[in-house]
Amino acid sequence: MLITQLKQIDEVKALAGAKTVIISCEGCKEVHFPAAEAKELYNDLKGSGTAQKVIRTEYVCSPENLAVQTKKHLPAIEAADTVLVFSCGVGVQSVSEMFDKKPVFAGCDTIPLPGYQGVTPLTVDCDQCGECYLNKTGGICPIALCSKSLVNGQCGGCKDGKCEVDKEMDCAWERIYRRLEKLELLENMKYPAQIRNFAPEA
Amino acid sequence: MEDYTKFKLKKTDELTALLEHKDDLYVISCNKCFKEFEAETEPECAEFCGFLKEQRKNLTGSTQVDFLCNRPMTEKKLETAIPAQAKNVCVISCGLGIQTVAEISKLPVYAASDSVCFEGRHGMALTKRRCDGCGQCYLNLTGGICPIVDCSKSLVNGQCGGSKDFKCEVDKEKDCAWDKIYERLAAQNRLDFLRTGEIQLRDHSKVNFKIINDYVKSVREKRLVGFYGGLHPTESKEFAEHLPLQAFPTPSTVVIPLSQHAGAPAVPLVAVGDAVKVGQKIGDAAGFISATVHSSVSGTVAAIEDRKHPNTGLKTLSIVINSDGKNEVHESVKPVADWTKLSVDEIVELVKEKGIVGMGGAGFPTSVKLKSPKPVDTVLLNGCECEPLLTADHRVMLEYADDIIFGLNVLLKTIGAEKGIIVIEDNKQDAISVLESKVAQIPNIEICVAHVKYPQGAEKMLIKRALGRQVPSGGLPLDVGVVVSNVSTVKAVSDAIQTGMPLVERVLTVTGEKINKPGNYIVKIGTSVKEIVDFCGGTTDADTTLKLGGPMMGFEVTDQNVPVIKATNGIIAIEPEVSEPNPCIRCGRCADVCPMELLPLYYPIYAGAENVDGLKEKAVRDCMECGCCEFICSSKIPLRTSIKYGKKVLAESEAK
Repeated sequence: MLITQLKQIDEVKALAGAKTVIISCEGCKEVHFPAAEAKELYNDLKGSGTAQKVIRTEYVCSPENLAVQTKKHLPAIEAADTVLVFSCGVGVQSVSEMFDKKPVFAGCDTIPLPGYQGVTPLTVDCDQCGECYLNKTGGICPIALCSKSLVNGQCGGCKDGKCEVDKEMDCAWERIYRRLEKLELLENMKYPAQIRNFAPEA
Repeated sequence: MEDYTKFKLKKTDELTALLEHKDDLYVISCNKCFKEFEAETEPECAEFCGFLKEQRKNLTGSTQVDFLCNRPMTEKKLETAIPAQAKNVCVISCGLGIQTVAEISKLPVYAASDSVCFEGRHGMALTKRRCDGCGQCYLNLTGGICPIVDCSKSLVNGQCGGSKDFKCEVDKEKDCAWDKIYERLAAQNRLDFLRTGEIQLRDHSKVNFKIINDYVKSVREKRLVGFYGGLHPTESKEFAEHLPLQAFPTPSTVVIPLSQHAGAPAVPLVAVGDAVKVGQKIGDAAGFISATVHSSVSGTVAAIEDRKHPNTGLKTLSIVINSDGKNEVHESVKPVADWTKLSVDEIVELVKEKGIVGMGGAGFPTSVKLKSPKPVDTVLLNGCECEPLLTADHRVMLEYADDIIFGLNVLLKTIGAEKGIIVIEDNKQDAISVLESKVAQIPNIEICVAHVKYPQGAEKMLIKRALGRQVPSGGLPLDVGVVVSNVSTVKAVSDAIQTGMPLVERVLTVTGEKINKPGNYIVKIGTSVKEIVDFCGGTTDADTTLKLGGPMMGFEVTDQNVPVIKATNGIIAIEPEVSEPNPCIRCGRCADVCPMELLPLYYPIYAGAENVDGLKEKAVRDCMECGCCEFICSSKIPLRTSIKYGKKVLAESEAK
């Protein structure tokens, strides 16, 4: 799941042209959208006369939906010298592809959240490594949860159950050991050495 | 269409080795997400179970779950699903689902599938991968083409030099991202930008997993507080929340429908030409679930004819009264000297006689709720007003706090409940402090402050939030010992006793970004919507959607010549929504926001196929049509239309 954060206000202001149209994508607002800050920024840009129009919409990542949502605003977009998009990187690229003759700028940076595409992010994550290790590890993912993504056990740097990279983080391999111990499956850990295959599968 | 299949079964030899010496298996399979919704269930489960049979394993059962990683729902489902004789659990899912089950299950959990190596992220549409979430968007420098995703080497300072004839040296089928960037910038006359730009350094610490994890925790808490699902639409209450109540001028004509409530329409008691006064009963209740109606003006009955109902748009028998402008009050309007001397039946009769119905939207006759066949210990007053924009109940709480408490006391005594709780959302701090100070000395009434979340004001959500009780599927609040009423409704009960005035006027909000002069008005029932909109300066432009009620559950007005009725809590003028439905991609958002914990994605398919069993199995009747699913749908599918049709299909099949 992708969420966004506003770029530095000055940076965004510098991007705006003399006649800017803002496209504000709020479909993922339920997960995160810097609504209050964005609104303030839109008002600022409107107040200084640079922003001609603010199009509040959602799911511009879908090119089909983007076309429907911008239909009645096309004259305004045509007349603009800059389109400023507040959305994740996918949305910005949909817009810049649709209006490829026009400078399209991003007002946000995008960061990933763990979990699926719903609106409630998860505390577990999957890096889609393509060779699930969870069977060996009692269902705790060493790729996502070990700082070093080790697949053959603890690195040796763990102290009191905490990771040496980040002392606030639980060591994934310690957690794996504890869970297998509880399940009386410590035997599981005696698997042959694993080599992670980074080649994308056909 | 790209294939974003999330996982596939592990290879047979790996599975054989995995399951050696393991038996009594239970299989859980996820119906993949984020793909075109073609099949209701995925084939891997049957395939894997077949494999287990070949291996002569004892299969204790299997289940196919939607959105297995959705922990609250999965937890509930698995509570009873796994049989006692099962010793091992096999999960067919992406890594998220497997870990979720492993966290919940007491049995050892094994992955029977590998997550497909699909690098990168996408938005909410099925598009090719486009964004890596690097936390430092480069698109402004590159004409909107992502160098992180599109360049094989994720270079951020221009071409590597290995590109030949526009093609990448790593993959000759792939266009060079930096060639594409150059072309686009050239077309836009922005090449200077590329030449003079600063050298970019990619800062990998921008994606800080600790901050992300803390954020995830806070979002989960916020989303799951009080009840599962729900939404936080932009409130936009600032248009009207600060505007004190004003009496709306008496209209020259009122149109009073005989059906403003749930149940049978009232029967007219007057004839054309009759003189009527304010508060005079002009329609009598026609049965147990029905309500009386009263004249809101003094004047002459001009017609009794079919007029358009404001909510349904259907013809409904209505009494049209020309006002004489004097607002003379009918002699039946007399305060009750000492209500505490009234018997329960007398109060119920009074509430019925005064035409009081639920004013939060549903219009259920209040007198029916007061005669509970089951024991009730708590009366909940709904002061949430969780719909965006509306501020009518907010103003009523601020300006009629004493009446609300009076009315609540009447309800408590009549129903015989021990406790009254007024639930108010935390975006109405002024109303909270007013009511908190008023109830401070009243032992059996308390204020419950709930964090804003839609649809908190829905009965079942309110009960869950305030009392932690779960109304059973198909059940009523009475089943868990609760009666729920709206703050405006108890204010009407208070009026009926303290002044004797029946429900002839109500508070409504006129608001929205497209109305010229927003306000909160005390409006006579039967006043035309057009008159009110005109009085408020009309709409800012013609490109406006007008709704009665809130943006989520309100009724769209196509003809402004309809009257305000007892359940009309607002008139809103908003930006019209444009949308064209796309195919469902099983993004899971509807299931994530449904407060009734349903799977709305199935309804368009089952309703379309008139699949009665499917509709029953997915409990379409539990849906209260709050609109959360439709609001969040990333494919803009009009889910409520399907849900209504599905309920109709179900009702028709049962009538047969």
